[in-house]
Amino acid sequence: MQQNILGNAEQFKQSFREEAREILVELESALLELNESPQDMELVGRVFRGLHTVKGSGSMFGFEQLAAFTHNLENAFDAVRNGRLTIDSGLVDLTLSALDQMRAMLEEDAADDPAARAMVLERLVQLTGIEDAHKTGSTPATPATSAPEPSRPGGALHRWKIHFQPGPEFLLNGANPLLLVRELAQLGKLSVRACMSQVPPLRELDPERCYVGWELHLETDSAIEAIRDVFIFVEDACELSIDPIEEEQPLLELCAADAVARALDEPRAGSAGRRVYDKPDNAASLRVPAARLDQFVDLVGELVTVQARLSQIASRSEDAEVGAVSEEIERLTAALRETSMNIRMMPIRGTFEKFRRLVHDLARDLGKDVELTIEGAETELDKTVIDQLGDPLMHLIRNSMDHGIEPAELRVARGKRSMAKIHLSARYSGASVLVSVTDDGGGINAEAVRARAVERGLIAADAQLSEAETFALIFQPGFSTAKQVTDVSGRGVGMDVVRQRVESLRGTIDVASRPGQGTSVTLRLPLTLAIIDGLLVRVAAQLFVLPLGSTLECIELTREEIEKANGRRMVNVRGEIVPYIRLREHFNIRAELPKIEQIMVVETDEGRYGFAVDEVLGDCQTVIKSLGRFYRHVQMISGATILGDGTVALILDPQRLVQDSLREAVQRGVRGRPEGSATGRRKAEGLPVKI
Amino acid sequence: MPIHTEQDSDTYSIRLDGVVDIAAGTELKAALLDGLERGGELRLSLADVTCLDVTAVQLLWAAERESRAAGVHLQLDGGLPEPVAAMLTGVGFESFPLS
Repeated sequence: MQQNILGNAEQFKQSFREEAREILVELESALLELNESPQDMELVGRVFRGLHTVKGSGSMFGFEQLAAFTHNLENAFDAVRNGRLTIDSGLVDLTLSALDQMRAMLEEDAADDPAARAMVLERLVQLTGIEDAHKTGSTPATPATSAPEPSRPGGALHRWKIHFQPGPEFLLNGANPLLLVRELAQLGKLSVRACMSQVPPLRELDPERCYVGWELHLETDSAIEAIRDVFIFVEDACELSIDPIEEEQPLLELCAADAVARALDEPRAGSAGRRVYDKPDNAASLRVPAARLDQFVDLVGELVTVQARLSQIASRSEDAEVGAVSEEIERLTAALRETSMNIRMMPIRGTFEKFRRLVHDLARDLGKDVELTIEGAETELDKTVIDQLGDPLMHLIRNSMDHGIEPAELRVARGKRSMAKIHLSARYSGASVLVSVTDDGGGINAEAVRARAVERGLIAADAQLSEAETFALIFQPGFSTAKQVTDVSGRGVGMDVVRQRVESLRGTIDVASRPGQGTSVTLRLPLTLAIIDGLLVRVAAQLFVLPLGSTLECIELTREEIEKANGRRMVNVRGEIVPYIRLREHFNIRAELPKIEQIMVVETDEGRYGFAVDEVLGDCQTVIKSLGRFYRHVQMISGATILGDGTVALILDPQRLVQDSLREAVQRGVRGRPEGSATGRRKAEGLPVKI
Repeated sequence: MPIHTEQDSDTYSIRLDGVVDIAAGTELKAALLDGLERGGELRLSLADVTCLDVTAVQLLWAAERESRAAGVHLQLDGGLPEPVAAMLTGVGFESFPLS
């Protein structure tokens, strides 16, 4: 039992850490918005509530130092809320520094520096004039005994009658009712009485359950929301009512009247905010360790493979019942797969929002004025992809800030706004997501890149490189055109990290740049790394899978049409000329050509392309298996899958196949696409160029 | 553990020290039941307690209530340390330490 409780305590701490990490990201984001809109009281409220949450639950889960430290910041924002203090960039910057300290305290890591904490609090006192008992953040937060003066917005005093009865699971959830009562005392003059009438005989008493209830009488000038905020983490686990007191009534009398009302089980008319703890579970979400989710998805993947095998056996069986059961299992497996994939999908918002702080700090350090705009933050990606995306985006943004964006004077001289812009965006494109970092800086100097590459011996002095090949050089290890190494970038490491990480995610990088106008780097990433819907196709005896998400249609290719095209790999699809790639030629598969081939028309960044195959076998749920490190450079194959009969099919990457084919065509001096097609137009404009 | 018990012919003593919270609840309950069942005198020492949470308070409160019915003389040795007493009073346990 003892071990169980201690184990629970550690689990609660871990849950708090996870929750607090998210709150700190939200706080950072709200503070940076507040820097732009210092009058926005809703943002002030967001910051206050975030700090209040960290303080309250931190104290509850044993992070006393964190709670005490946060208490000071909460006081400052309470003063802002009540009009006693105004927001300026100094307060925002200081609070951002304080968030770093809070993060270190939360993780209990080496970055936790009591001296730095003390310095932050000293500056906070200087800035706000609010003295506090918890200056060092090294003493526990004990609001009732050593709290600062309760907030006094100068409004009218109100009297509230609060009934608070913890529910059966209250203590097991790590909550501490005594701390809540003490926290209420911060809001004003509090009379409190613990009601023991529910405490059962000792023998029947469950020592892990709270039977004590509280009747409280609070006189405060704070709004009812401030009272509710105190119970913000426990409102679903307790019975709570907050009622205004119209006329003078002694506390004990109030308690007695309530006791009678409860005894008679009378409905409490007008009892706003009352919550009954034994109502059905209304938790809107559940926190699950990522590793457990990965295990779940792995098992679903195995199930999909076994189900494919069952389907094959059922198709050979003459027993109709076996066929019916197999179809039902296939239907359920597809639904399970869909559900499990959806569970892993997360909006990219959290990753994007983290960069507001990076841009703010770098802009300050570099003396540049930079605005970060975000678009498509609701776009969802597999959790694994999102987890891997932070570093590449960080390097891209640092590079833009340091090398891309010019100093303000130069921007003005070039006729640009002095405030530069970095735009982070995400959007869906077939079975992929495009994540872009765009700046309106000076653009990539292709000549400088080339000269540096020659100097470093990466290319010969007389090498003929296309723009794409030139831009690709910036992703080489150790490559940098920076004249000096700064704290921000210039060592030539960042872009190499971007390339490696994106490749490991089976993604691609596009670079578009115009001198003097800016650069856009777009990462094309798969929606998921685990299971996809695919189309199984055959070329001779070789099986391939094409991602269904990017496949538009299937058309027939007859000998007659091949002859009409005069040897060009083009097909007329309802008036549109679509180039195609014959997989048997691309992969050098020698076998007899069927009379009629099938062309799978696929949407790519280069426009519509066809892939000619011998036969389309049908759709299949494809569990993606890595090809291993020996094949990591084979980029047109994104993985392999095991089919129901145990054979292996390669999963094609249509985008890479088209790029590979275009590259070959350029080398042979053959145009890959007809004039007037989407790619033709794009190349004429010079943007974007692929790497 | 923060719970120490001793007994002689007619006295059962429970001494608590440090933090007495939910983690000690089961053991405290067992000790209190043991003390009540033996009859005679039950002596309770809370002088070395640094923190009492609500689970400990309700166990002690229930034990005191039942001691009267069981004919057990429950006696508090030395009172509560001032910070702990102030904290309990502040959260509405007016009759604590044991009345």
